[in-house]
Amino acid sequence: MSNMVEIKNLHANIGEKNILKGLDLALESGKVHVIMGPNGAGKSTLSKAIVGHYDIEVKEGEILYKGENIIDEEPEVRALKGIFLSFQNPVEIPGVSNAYFLRTAVNAKRKFEGKEELNAAEFLREAKALALELGMKPELITRSLNEGFSGGEKKRNETLQMLMLEPDFIILDEIDSGLDIDALRAVSEGINKIKDGKRTFLIITHYSRILDYVKPDYVHVLKDGQIVKTAGPELVAELEEKGYATLEES
Amino acid sequence: MSSIILADIINNAKTIPLPTKKSEEYRYFDIESYLNKEYMLVDKQKKPITEAAYIEIVDGVVEKAPKGLNISYVTEREVTDEHFDPLYYVGHLLCSQAIQIELEDDTNVKILHRYTQQKSLIPYRVVVKTAPNITVTLSESFIGCDAQESLVLYGYDIHLQRDARLSFIKDETLVEGIYTPIHSHFIHLQQQSSADLFSFDFGNADGLQLIQAKLLQNSHFNAHHLLYTKGASKRGTISKIIHAQKDAKSSQKAKNILGDKGRGIFDALIKIEPEGGGTKAYQNSQAILLNDGAYMVSKPQLEIYIDDVEASHGSTIGELDPQQLFYLRSRGIRLEEARKMLILAFTNEIIDAIEDEKVREAVHLSFEHIYYGQGQLECIATCHHCSDEIIGG
Repeated sequence: MSNMVEIKNLHANIGEKNILKGLDLALESGKVHVIMGPNGAGKSTLSKAIVGHYDIEVKEGEILYKGENIIDEEPEVRALKGIFLSFQNPVEIPGVSNAYFLRTAVNAKRKFEGKEELNAAEFLREAKALALELGMKPELITRSLNEGFSGGEKKRNETLQMLMLEPDFIILDEIDSGLDIDALRAVSEGINKIKDGKRTFLIITHYSRILDYVKPDYVHVLKDGQIVKTAGPELVAELEEKGYATLEES
Repeated sequence: MSSIILADIINNAKTIPLPTKKSEEYRYFDIESYLNKEYMLVDKQKKPITEAAYIEIVDGVVEKAPKGLNISYVTEREVTDEHFDPLYYVGHLLCSQAIQIELEDDTNVKILHRYTQQKSLIPYRVVVKTAPNITVTLSESFIGCDAQESLVLYGYDIHLQRDARLSFIKDETLVEGIYTPIHSHFIHLQQQSSADLFSFDFGNADGLQLIQAKLLQNSHFNAHHLLYTKGASKRGTISKIIHAQKDAKSSQKAKNILGDKGRGIFDALIKIEPEGGGTKAYQNSQAILLNDGAYMVSKPQLEIYIDDVEASHGSTIGELDPQQLFYLRSRGIRLEEARKMLILAFTNEIIDAIEDEKVREAVHLSFEHIYYGQGQLECIATCHHCSDEIIGG
């Protein structure tokens, strides 16, 4: 049993505001971890700190990924090493075709790993097959990246990217928000598809409904910039019933 | 506007002083440094025109043209008496004859301008006349590797007859040290005619285009400008679109990318005359500054003399969207590659609006050549699509 990610004493700001206040978190390899917590607790800040978002200033602490501190790594290097964040609100980029973007990303990773790059035909075959499994309209592959996509389509597109890029550590930031039941099921099936006992998942959510489809191994509660409780999946029901107010530090 | 001869042009020019750095239309361009230089005036000896798939104009003289195309030299021509640009008249004054292209049927004409003389003044005018109710595409490109330090004063007088439709595409990459172009155009749109003007101005050297368009009843004028300039160049568009009669529509969209210490110019006026009721006019300029030294002069302006119009204008100047950049990087795309993807995306909206696929691809190629070739720009950048295979379609 080893940890893919260990976060130690992480202090992080957005602007002048201190959001993460000495956060410690260990994520066991191959497991599904869930982070829950009240609004403003720092859940999205944590995910952004892990991927190196420009909004976040890390003041102190370490983020060890596969034993290596990645705090000073550029975002693209973290991605190439296998870290993937599914964004809560994926940005729209008019003029960049979804296919061109995704092929560039896939081939950047393949090159980084010393693999042969996919040609256009190979890429399209694979992307279309996966898109079909996710219930995506085929034309979304060739349209501008996320431009005019519905909320559900954006989340499916994030899932498609995850499947194509085959990352080792996957952070899903409120992937279930704004999804209808069919989209939620499709996205969950996509997640389960690449659960192989080696990849590590960190699911950030407000609600338990995605956990009906993707079974967690651990549940962590983030409150006021710190992890205040870690337990098994049974904690979800407890939180649903009692809320966060009564939690005591574990 | 009437058909006038040289003496009339001189009379008209007398009333308009030569531009200086204080002239409104040239104040961002440093025109005096060009007007005060000493040039050789090119000797424009007419030559027999040989057959080719395209028109080739060498130092202001037609040398090649497609068979059956009606091309001639004319002394008398229609010159507007209300152009805002003094160099429009100077250009006419310096040309006793203009090249006239008369288009009677639907056609697709490619024009290659070739400049060969160093330290020369190369003035010429091209008159384009269309028959009513035809559809025409004119696309032009330029070769000027040998014309170091020359000044090119050229421009079109385009007369679109009733119900005619024109698509005009200019693709000009300039390299520091070669010629400087000042294009001064006049476009006259008769009732129900329409013109789509595309200008693609790339490179690292100075150049300016000045456009005046006059719209009569129910005519449409759409201008799309894409500018990418770098080095210490000054480049851009100065325009005046006049809605002279009712129910005309115009749209002008400029996208500008400025690198190094490049200065972009978009100084554009839409004027709606008292007779221009029912006008719809839209004008927008967007600029991306790639670094601190880059600078954009953006002046979209409306001048409206009647209430019954729909008109809007806007301008934005900024950097690449950090959220978009981060999104791409978060997927493993390196910063430089991500920046290039966003720049290409910014340009695609204008380039992809060209209907002619071959011209569209040539323009994509022009941009990618100059953009991906950063730091190693050579004169070949202006010449890469001069082969018959591409230019001739």
